Amino acid sequence: MNAHSKVPANGKPIHVEDQNETTKMAHETTLLDPRFYTTDFDKLDKTDVSSVRAEWDVLIEQMKSDPNKGHFKRTEAWDDIDLESLPEGLRKELVDFLVSSLTAEFSGCVLYKEMKRRGSNPDIKELFSYMSRDEARHAGFINDSLKDFGIGVNLGFLTKAKKYTYFRPKFIFYATYLSEKIGYARYITIFRHFEKHPEKRFHPIFKWFQEWCNDEFSHGEAFSLLMRSDPKLLSGHNKLWIKFFLCAVYATMFVRDHARPEFHKAMGIGIEDYDMRVFRITNEITKQCFPLLLDIENPKFLKRLQRMNRLAIAMGKADNQGGIMGRIKKVGIGAAVAANFAGLYFMPTIKNEIPETSRLVPTW
Amino acid sequence: MIKKIIGGETVDVDCTVEIINTFESLEAHVRFNDGTTVAPGDEVLVHGKPIEVPYGEKQQFDRRATIKRAGAVERLWTRATGDFEFMELCEFSFSEERL
Repeated sequence: MNAHSKVPANGKPIHVEDQNETTKMAHETTLLDPRFYTTDFDKLDKTDVSSVRAEWDVLIEQMKSDPNKGHFKRTEAWDDIDLESLPEGLRKELVDFLVSSLTAEFSGCVLYKEMKRRGSNPDIKELFSYMSRDEARHAGFINDSLKDFGIGVNLGFLTKAKKYTYFRPKFIFYATYLSEKIGYARYITIFRHFEKHPEKRFHPIFKWFQEWCNDEFSHGEAFSLLMRSDPKLLSGHNKLWIKFFLCAVYATMFVRDHARPEFHKAMGIGIEDYDMRVFRITNEITKQCFPLLLDIENPKFLKRLQRMNRLAIAMGKADNQGGIMGRIKKVGIGAAVAANFAGLYFMPTIKNEIPETSRLVPTW
Repeated sequence: MIKKIIGGETVDVDCTVEIINTFESLEAHVRFNDGTTVAPGDEVLVHGKPIEVPYGEKQQFDRRATIKRAGAVERLWTRATGDFEFMELCEFSFSEERL
Protein backbone atom coordinates (compact mmCIF):
# COMPACT_ATOMS: atom_id res chain seq x y z
CA MET A 1 0.00 0.00 0.00
CA ASN A 2 1.36 3.34 -0.97
CA ALA A 3 0.52 6.31 1.15
CA HIS A 4 -0.23 8.99 -1.44
CA SER A 5 -0.64 11.89 0.82
CA LYS A 6 -1.26 12.61 4.41
CA VAL A 7 -3.66 15.33 5.24
CA PRO A 8 -3.93 15.79 8.98
CA ALA A 9 -7.49 16.07 10.19
CA ASN A 10 -8.12 17.45 13.62
CA GLY A 11 -4.41 17.45 14.03
CA LYS A 12 -4.29 13.76 13.21
CA PRO A 13 -3.53 12.23 9.86
CA ILE A 14 -6.07 11.15 7.33
CA HIS A 15 -4.38 8.43 5.36
CA VAL A 16 -5.18 8.35 1.73
CA GLU A 17 -4.06 4.94 0.71
CA ASP A 18 -4.06 2.98 -2.44
CA GLN A 19 -5.90 -0.22 -1.80
CA ASN A 20 -5.81 -1.68 -5.23
CA GLU A 21 -3.86 0.01 -7.91
CA THR A 22 -5.49 -1.99 -10.66
CA THR A 23 -8.98 -0.86 -9.77
CA LYS A 24 -9.76 2.54 -11.14
CA MET A 25 -12.78 3.46 -9.10
CA ALA A 26 -12.98 3.63 -5.33
CA HIS A 27 -9.34 2.73 -5.11
CA GLU A 28 -8.47 5.16 -2.38
CA THR A 29 -9.93 5.40 1.05
CA THR A 30 -9.95 8.42 3.28
CA LEU A 31 -9.64 7.36 6.85
CA LEU A 32 -11.91 9.69 8.72
CA ASP A 33 -10.46 10.60 12.04
CA PRO A 34 -13.08 12.65 13.83
CA ARG A 35 -12.76 13.65 17.45
CA PHE A 36 -15.25 12.66 20.10
CA TYR A 37 -16.62 15.18 22.48
CA THR A 38 -18.42 15.27 25.73
CA THR A 39 -19.85 18.20 27.60
CA ASP A 40 -21.57 19.10 30.83
CA PHE A 41 -24.90 17.50 29.96
CA ASP A 42 -26.55 18.56 33.22
CA LYS A 43 -25.76 22.16 32.52
CA LEU A 44 -26.94 21.81 28.95
CA ASP A 45 -30.21 20.37 30.22
CA LYS A 46 -30.75 23.46 32.35
CA THR A 47 -30.90 25.61 29.23
CA ASP A 48 -34.13 27.56 29.42
CA VAL A 49 -35.33 29.12 26.19
CA SER A 50 -38.48 30.64 27.71
CA SER A 51 -37.18 34.20 27.29
CA VAL A 52 -36.85 33.64 23.53
CA ARG A 53 -39.73 31.19 23.20
CA ALA A 54 -41.65 32.97 20.43
CA GLU A 55 -38.63 33.12 18.12
CA TRP A 56 -37.51 29.66 19.15
CA ASP A 57 -40.82 28.03 18.21
CA VAL A 58 -40.83 29.65 14.78
CA LEU A 59 -37.30 28.43 14.10
CA ILE A 60 -37.93 24.89 15.34
CA GLU A 61 -41.09 24.70 13.24
CA GLN A 62 -39.08 25.71 10.20
CA MET A 63 -36.38 23.12 10.92
CA LYS A 64 -39.01 20.48 11.51
CA SER A 65 -40.57 21.18 8.10
CA ASP A 66 -37.15 20.23 6.66
CA PRO A 67 -37.10 22.67 3.73
CA ASN A 68 -33.98 21.10 2.23
CA LYS A 69 -35.22 17.53 2.31
CA GLY A 70 -35.30 17.19 -1.45
CA HIS A 71 -32.33 19.41 -2.21
CA PHE A 72 -29.40 17.06 -1.86
CA LYS A 73 -29.94 14.97 -4.93
CA ARG A 74 -28.04 14.71 -8.15
CA THR A 75 -30.27 16.28 -10.75
CA GLU A 76 -29.52 17.12 -14.37
CA ALA A 77 -27.90 20.28 -13.03
CA TRP A 78 -25.05 18.04 -11.87
CA ASP A 79 -23.02 18.33 -15.02
CA ASP A 80 -20.45 15.62 -15.03
CA ILE A 81 -17.05 17.09 -15.41
CA ASP A 82 -13.89 15.38 -16.44
CA LEU A 83 -12.04 15.27 -13.15
CA GLU A 84 -8.96 13.93 -14.87
CA SER A 85 -8.72 17.14 -16.85
CA LEU A 86 -8.38 19.28 -13.72
CA PRO A 87 -4.77 20.36 -13.15
CA GLU A 88 -3.12 18.19 -10.49
CA GLY A 89 -2.72 21.04 -7.97
CA LEU A 90 -6.36 22.03 -8.27
CA ARG A 91 -7.55 18.46 -8.07
CA LYS A 92 -5.60 17.95 -4.87
CA GLU A 93 -6.91 21.13 -3.28
CA LEU A 94 -10.46 20.37 -4.33
CA VAL A 95 -10.23 16.92 -2.73
CA ASP A 96 -8.75 18.52 0.40
CA PHE A 97 -11.64 21.00 0.44
CA LEU A 98 -14.18 18.18 0.14
CA VAL A 99 -12.49 16.01 2.76
CA SER A 100 -12.25 18.84 5.29
CA SER A 101 -15.87 19.75 4.66
CA LEU A 102 -16.89 16.12 5.06
CA THR A 103 -14.98 15.77 8.33
CA ALA A 104 -16.51 18.97 9.71
CA GLU A 105 -20.03 17.88 8.81
CA PHE A 106 -19.41 14.41 10.19
CA SER A 107 -17.99 15.70 13.49
CA GLY A 108 -20.90 18.12 13.78
CA CYS A 109 -23.32 15.26 13.26
CA VAL A 110 -21.67 13.11 15.96
CA LEU A 111 -21.53 15.99 18.45
CA TYR A 112 -25.13 17.06 17.86
CA LYS A 113 -26.43 13.50 18.03
CA GLU A 114 -24.63 12.97 21.32
CA MET A 115 -26.20 16.14 22.72
CA LYS A 116 -29.59 14.95 21.58
CA ARG A 117 -29.11 11.48 23.00
CA ARG A 118 -27.74 12.41 26.40
CA GLY A 119 -29.92 15.41 27.04
CA SER A 120 -33.34 15.32 28.65
CA ASN A 121 -34.45 18.89 27.96
CA PRO A 122 -37.04 18.52 25.17
CA ASP A 123 -36.11 21.81 23.47
CA ILE A 124 -32.47 20.81 23.30
CA LYS A 125 -33.25 17.29 22.15
CA GLU A 126 -35.47 18.46 19.35
CA LEU A 127 -33.07 21.12 18.11
CA PHE A 128 -30.06 18.81 18.05
CA SER A 129 -31.93 16.03 16.30
CA TYR A 130 -32.67 18.36 13.35
CA MET A 131 -29.16 19.71 13.23
CA SER A 132 -27.65 16.24 13.35
CA ARG A 133 -29.95 15.21 10.51
CA ASP A 134 -28.75 18.11 8.35
CA GLU A 135 -25.07 17.51 9.00
CA ALA A 136 -25.35 13.80 8.19
CA ARG A 137 -27.12 14.68 4.97
CA HIS A 138 -24.39 17.12 3.98
CA ALA A 139 -21.73 14.53 4.82
CA GLY A 140 -23.53 11.98 2.62
CA PHE A 141 -23.64 14.40 -0.27
CA ILE A 142 -19.94 15.24 -0.05
CA ASN A 143 -19.12 11.56 0.37
CA ASP A 144 -20.88 10.90 -2.90
CA SER A 145 -18.85 13.60 -4.67
CA LEU A 146 -15.65 12.07 -3.37
CA LYS A 147 -16.67 8.82 -5.04
CA ASP A 148 -16.26 10.54 -8.39
CA PHE A 149 -12.61 10.89 -7.47
CA GLY A 150 -12.50 7.22 -6.60
CA ILE A 151 -12.26 8.02 -2.88
CA GLY A 152 -14.40 6.27 -0.30
CA VAL A 153 -14.51 6.82 3.45
CA ASN A 154 -12.90 4.33 5.75
CA LEU A 155 -14.55 3.93 9.14
CA GLY A 156 -11.50 2.29 10.70
CA PHE A 157 -11.51 4.89 13.48
CA LEU A 158 -14.50 3.17 15.04
CA THR A 159 -12.44 0.23 16.27
CA LYS A 160 -9.47 2.28 17.40
CA ALA A 161 -9.05 3.70 20.89
CA LYS A 162 -10.71 7.09 21.06
CA LYS A 163 -10.22 9.74 23.67
CA TYR A 164 -13.14 11.93 24.56
CA THR A 165 -12.38 15.59 24.83
CA TYR A 166 -14.51 18.17 26.56
CA PHE A 167 -16.28 21.38 25.60
CA ARG A 168 -18.12 23.51 28.07
CA PRO A 169 -21.69 24.11 26.81
CA LYS A 170 -21.10 27.83 26.41
CA PHE A 171 -17.99 27.17 24.33
CA ILE A 172 -20.00 24.87 22.12
CA PHE A 173 -22.43 27.72 21.65
CA TYR A 174 -19.78 30.32 20.76
CA ALA A 175 -17.75 28.00 18.56
CA THR A 176 -20.57 26.32 16.69
CA TYR A 177 -22.46 29.58 16.29
CA LEU A 178 -19.44 31.10 14.61
CA SER A 179 -18.62 28.02 12.62
CA GLU A 180 -22.16 27.76 11.25
CA LYS A 181 -22.42 31.46 10.42
CA ILE A 182 -18.98 31.73 8.88
CA GLY A 183 -19.76 28.53 6.98
CA TYR A 184 -22.84 30.23 5.60
CA ALA A 185 -20.84 33.32 4.65
CA ARG A 186 -18.19 31.22 2.90
CA TYR A 187 -20.63 29.13 0.91
CA ILE A 188 -22.85 32.01 -0.14
CA THR A 189 -19.85 34.07 -1.22
CA ILE A 190 -18.65 31.20 -3.42
CA PHE A 191 -22.16 30.66 -4.77
CA ARG A 192 -22.65 34.35 -5.65
CA HIS A 193 -19.24 34.47 -7.26
CA PHE A 194 -20.03 31.55 -9.56
CA GLU A 195 -23.42 33.05 -10.36
CA LYS A 196 -21.52 35.95 -11.87
CA HIS A 197 -18.80 33.78 -13.40
CA PRO A 198 -20.38 30.46 -14.34
CA GLU A 199 -17.50 29.75 -16.71
CA LYS A 200 -15.21 29.46 -13.69
CA ARG A 201 -17.28 26.86 -11.89
CA PHE A 202 -14.94 23.89 -11.96
CA HIS A 203 -17.14 21.45 -10.04
CA PRO A 204 -20.93 21.01 -9.97
CA ILE A 205 -21.14 20.78 -6.17
CA PHE A 206 -20.94 24.57 -5.93
CA LYS A 207 -24.38 24.82 -7.54
CA TRP A 208 -25.82 23.23 -4.39
CA PHE A 209 -24.29 25.76 -2.02
CA GLN A 210 -27.19 28.21 -1.88
CA GLU A 211 -29.76 25.94 -0.22
CA TRP A 212 -27.00 24.09 1.58
CA CYS A 213 -25.79 27.19 3.36
CA ASN A 214 -29.35 27.98 4.43
CA ASP A 215 -29.05 24.96 6.74
CA GLU A 216 -25.87 26.42 8.22
CA PHE A 217 -27.66 29.72 8.55
CA SER A 218 -30.58 28.31 10.48
CA HIS A 219 -28.28 26.28 12.76
CA GLY A 220 -26.55 29.55 13.55
CA GLU A 221 -29.94 31.13 14.28
CA ALA A 222 -30.58 28.42 16.86
CA PHE A 223 -27.26 29.04 18.61
CA SER A 224 -27.94 32.77 18.59
CA LEU A 225 -31.20 32.11 20.44
CA LEU A 226 -29.50 29.73 22.87
CA MET A 227 -26.97 32.41 23.75
CA ARG A 228 -29.57 35.14 23.93
CA SER A 229 -31.68 33.01 26.25
CA ASP A 230 -28.97 33.49 28.87
CA PRO A 231 -27.77 37.13 28.67
CA LYS A 232 -24.83 36.31 30.97
CA LEU A 233 -23.26 34.47 28.06
CA LEU A 234 -23.11 37.69 26.07
CA SER A 235 -21.90 40.10 28.72
CA GLY A 236 -19.33 40.61 31.46
CA HIS A 237 -16.18 38.51 31.24
CA ASN A 238 -17.74 36.36 28.52
CA LYS A 239 -17.16 39.25 26.14
CA LEU A 240 -13.47 38.39 26.39
CA TRP A 241 -14.24 34.83 25.31
CA ILE A 242 -16.32 36.03 22.38
CA LYS A 243 -13.46 38.23 21.26
CA PHE A 244 -11.09 35.31 21.59
CA PHE A 245 -13.28 33.06 19.46
CA LEU A 246 -13.68 35.73 16.80
CA CYS A 247 -9.92 36.33 16.56
CA ALA A 248 -9.10 32.61 16.51
CA VAL A 249 -11.70 31.70 13.90
CA TYR A 250 -10.96 34.65 11.57
CA ALA A 251 -7.19 34.14 11.77
CA THR A 252 -7.40 30.38 11.21
CA MET A 253 -9.64 30.80 8.22
CA PHE A 254 -7.28 33.33 6.68
CA VAL A 255 -4.25 31.07 7.11
CA ARG A 256 -6.04 27.96 5.91
CA ASP A 257 -7.46 29.58 2.81
CA HIS A 258 -3.99 30.74 1.84
CA ALA A 259 -2.92 27.11 1.79
CA ARG A 260 -5.27 26.53 -1.16
CA PRO A 261 -3.88 28.86 -3.85
CA GLU A 262 -4.89 26.74 -6.85
CA PHE A 263 -8.44 26.39 -5.62
CA HIS A 264 -8.92 30.14 -5.38
CA LYS A 265 -7.04 30.82 -8.60
CA ALA A 266 -9.37 28.49 -10.48
CA MET A 267 -12.34 30.24 -8.90
CA GLY A 268 -10.90 33.51 -10.15
CA ILE A 269 -11.06 35.09 -6.73
CA GLY A 270 -8.29 36.68 -4.66
CA ILE A 271 -7.93 34.91 -1.32
CA GLU A 272 -7.70 38.13 0.67
CA ASP A 273 -10.62 39.61 -1.18
CA TYR A 274 -12.68 36.47 -0.58
CA ASP A 275 -11.81 36.32 3.11
CA MET A 276 -12.58 39.98 3.66
CA ARG A 277 -15.97 39.51 2.01
CA VAL A 278 -16.64 36.55 4.31
CA PHE A 279 -15.59 38.57 7.38
CA ARG A 280 -17.88 41.45 6.37
CA ILE A 281 -20.87 39.15 6.05
CA THR A 282 -20.04 37.33 9.29
CA ASN A 283 -19.59 40.63 11.16
CA GLU A 284 -22.95 41.82 9.87
CA ILE A 285 -24.66 38.58 10.96
CA THR A 286 -23.08 38.42 14.41
CA LYS A 287 -24.68 41.77 15.26
CA GLN A 288 -27.74 39.67 16.13
CA CYS A 289 -26.14 38.47 19.35
CA PHE A 290 -22.51 39.41 19.94
CA PRO A 291 -21.86 42.52 22.05
CA LEU A 292 -18.75 43.37 20.04
CA LEU A 293 -17.39 43.06 16.51
CA LEU A 294 -13.80 42.92 15.31
CA ASP A 295 -12.77 46.10 13.52
CA ILE A 296 -12.00 44.35 10.24
CA GLU A 297 -11.76 47.59 8.24
CA ASN A 298 -8.90 48.81 10.40
CA PRO A 299 -5.84 48.29 8.15
CA LYS A 300 -3.98 46.80 11.12
CA PHE A 301 -6.43 43.90 11.16
CA LEU A 302 -5.42 42.68 7.71
CA LYS A 303 -1.74 43.30 8.51
CA ARG A 304 -2.01 41.07 11.58
CA LEU A 305 -3.61 38.31 9.53
CA GLN A 306 -1.00 38.61 6.80
CA ARG A 307 1.70 38.31 9.42
CA MET A 308 -0.06 35.27 10.87
CA ASN A 309 0.04 33.65 7.44
CA ARG A 310 3.75 34.38 6.95
CA LEU A 311 4.44 32.88 10.38
CA ALA A 312 2.38 29.81 9.55
CA ILE A 313 4.40 29.29 6.37
CA ALA A 314 7.65 29.69 8.30
CA MET A 315 6.36 27.23 10.90
CA GLY A 316 5.62 24.71 8.15
CA LYS A 317 9.16 25.05 6.82
CA ALA A 318 10.70 24.65 10.28
CA ASP A 319 8.54 21.58 10.76
CA ASN A 320 9.80 20.04 7.54
CA GLN A 321 13.37 20.92 8.39
CA GLY A 322 13.15 18.94 11.62
CA GLY A 323 16.15 18.31 13.87
CA ILE A 324 17.32 20.58 16.63
CA MET A 325 17.50 23.69 14.44
CA GLY A 326 13.99 23.05 13.23
CA ARG A 327 12.78 22.74 16.79
CA ILE A 328 14.53 25.89 17.94
CA LYS A 329 13.01 27.79 15.04
CA LYS A 330 9.59 26.45 15.90
CA VAL A 331 9.83 27.77 19.46
CA GLY A 332 10.79 31.21 18.14
CA ILE A 333 8.03 31.22 15.56
CA GLY A 334 5.56 29.97 18.16
CA ALA A 335 6.39 32.96 20.35
CA ALA A 336 5.94 35.29 17.38
CA VAL A 337 2.55 33.70 16.64
CA ALA A 338 1.48 34.22 20.25
CA ALA A 339 2.62 37.85 20.21
CA ASN A 340 0.88 38.48 16.90
CA PHE A 341 -2.30 36.88 18.18
CA ALA A 342 -2.14 39.06 21.28
CA GLY A 343 -1.73 42.09 18.99
CA LEU A 344 -4.85 41.05 17.12
CA TYR A 345 -6.71 40.34 20.33
CA PHE A 346 -5.94 43.70 21.89
CA MET A 347 -7.00 45.74 18.88
CA PRO A 348 -9.97 47.93 19.80
CA THR A 349 -13.29 46.37 18.87
CA ILE A 350 -16.59 47.87 17.77
CA LYS A 351 -19.30 47.92 20.39
CA ASN A 352 -22.59 46.41 19.31
CA GLU A 353 -26.01 46.99 20.83
CA ILE A 354 -27.72 43.61 20.72
CA PRO A 355 -31.09 44.11 18.96
CA GLU A 356 -34.48 43.31 20.48
CA THR A 357 -34.97 40.26 18.32
CA SER A 358 -32.51 37.78 16.94
CA ARG A 359 -34.16 36.69 13.73
CA LEU A 360 -32.29 37.23 10.48
CA VAL A 361 -33.04 35.97 7.01
CA PRO A 362 -30.26 34.85 4.70
CA THR A 363 -30.32 37.63 2.15
CA TRP A 364 -26.68 37.72 1.16
CA MET B 1 -8.15 4.88 45.03
CA ILE B 2 -4.86 5.22 43.20
CA LYS B 3 -6.64 4.42 39.93
CA LYS B 4 -9.14 7.16 40.61
CA ILE B 5 -6.31 9.66 40.64
CA ILE B 6 -3.98 8.38 37.99
CA GLY B 7 -6.61 6.63 35.91
CA GLY B 8 -6.55 3.28 34.21
CA GLU B 9 -9.73 1.86 35.71
CA THR B 10 -11.48 -0.08 32.96
CA VAL B 11 -15.12 -0.96 32.36
CA ASP B 12 -16.29 -3.48 29.76
CA VAL B 13 -19.71 -2.92 28.27
CA ASP B 14 -21.86 -4.08 25.38
CA CYS B 15 -22.35 -1.48 22.74
CA THR B 16 -24.19 -0.93 19.50
CA VAL B 17 -22.43 0.66 16.58
CA GLU B 18 -24.78 2.17 14.03
CA ILE B 19 -23.52 3.11 10.60
CA ILE B 20 -25.38 4.78 7.79
CA ASN B 21 -23.36 5.04 4.61
CA THR B 22 -25.86 6.12 2.01
CA PHE B 23 -26.33 8.96 -0.40
CA GLU B 24 -28.80 10.53 1.99
CA SER B 25 -26.68 10.28 5.08
CA LEU B 26 -23.23 9.46 6.38
CA GLU B 27 -23.24 8.78 10.11
CA ALA B 28 -21.57 6.60 12.69
CA HIS B 29 -22.60 6.37 16.31
CA VAL B 30 -21.55 4.24 19.24
CA ARG B 31 -24.11 3.63 22.01
CA PHE B 32 -23.43 1.79 25.24
CA ASN B 33 -26.36 -0.54 25.75
CA ASP B 34 -26.60 -0.22 29.53
CA GLY B 35 -26.54 3.56 29.45
CA THR B 36 -22.95 3.86 30.67
CA THR B 37 -21.62 7.30 29.86
CA VAL B 38 -18.16 8.59 29.11
CA ALA B 39 -16.53 11.49 30.84
CA PRO B 40 -13.80 13.93 29.73
CA GLY B 41 -10.50 12.21 29.04
CA ASP B 42 -11.93 8.67 28.99
CA GLU B 43 -10.76 6.42 26.22
CA VAL B 44 -13.08 4.03 24.42
CA LEU B 45 -12.02 0.99 22.43
CA VAL B 46 -14.60 -0.92 20.45
CA HIS B 47 -13.41 -4.50 20.03
CA GLY B 48 -13.54 -6.67 16.96
CA LYS B 49 -12.73 -6.44 13.31
CA PRO B 50 -12.60 -3.05 11.60
CA ILE B 51 -16.08 -1.98 10.66
CA GLU B 52 -16.92 -1.55 7.03
CA VAL B 53 -20.29 -0.79 5.58
CA PRO B 54 -20.63 -0.80 1.81
CA TYR B 55 -21.90 2.34 0.20
CA GLY B 56 -25.68 2.47 0.10
CA GLU B 57 -26.19 0.46 3.28
CA LYS B 58 -27.18 0.94 6.90
CA GLN B 59 -25.88 -1.56 9.42
CA GLN B 60 -25.79 -2.17 13.15
CA PHE B 61 -23.12 -4.09 14.98
CA ASP B 62 -23.23 -5.54 18.49
CA ARG B 63 -19.79 -5.27 20.00
CA ARG B 64 -17.96 -5.19 23.30
CA ALA B 65 -16.21 -2.00 24.27
CA THR B 66 -13.68 -1.17 26.93
CA ILE B 67 -13.85 2.23 28.56
CA LYS B 68 -10.59 3.24 30.16
CA ARG B 69 -11.46 5.85 32.73
CA ALA B 70 -9.33 8.95 32.96
CA GLY B 71 -7.83 9.77 36.33
CA ALA B 72 -8.80 12.87 38.26
CA VAL B 73 -5.78 14.79 36.99
CA GLU B 74 -6.36 13.95 33.37
CA ARG B 75 -10.06 14.70 33.73
CA LEU B 76 -9.29 18.14 35.11
CA TRP B 77 -6.75 18.73 32.38
CA THR B 78 -9.19 17.69 29.65
CA ARG B 79 -11.87 19.93 31.11
CA ALA B 80 -9.46 22.84 31.21
CA THR B 81 -7.99 22.46 27.75
CA GLY B 82 -10.59 20.64 25.65
CA ASP B 83 -12.37 23.88 24.88
CA PHE B 84 -9.45 25.06 22.82
CA GLU B 85 -9.94 22.30 20.29
CA PHE B 86 -13.16 23.90 19.15
CA MET B 87 -11.59 24.94 15.87
CA GLU B 88 -12.06 21.38 14.70
CA LEU B 89 -15.68 22.13 14.09
CA CYS B 90 -14.92 24.62 11.34
CA GLU B 91 -14.84 23.35 7.78
CA PHE B 92 -11.61 25.20 6.96
CA SER B 93 -9.57 23.99 9.88
CA PHE B 94 -9.11 20.29 9.36
CA SER B 95 -6.14 19.81 7.16
CA GLU B 96 -3.06 21.41 8.52
CA GLU B 97 -0.62 20.43 5.85
CA ARG B 98 0.21 23.08 3.33
CA LEU B 99 -0.63 21.61 -0.02
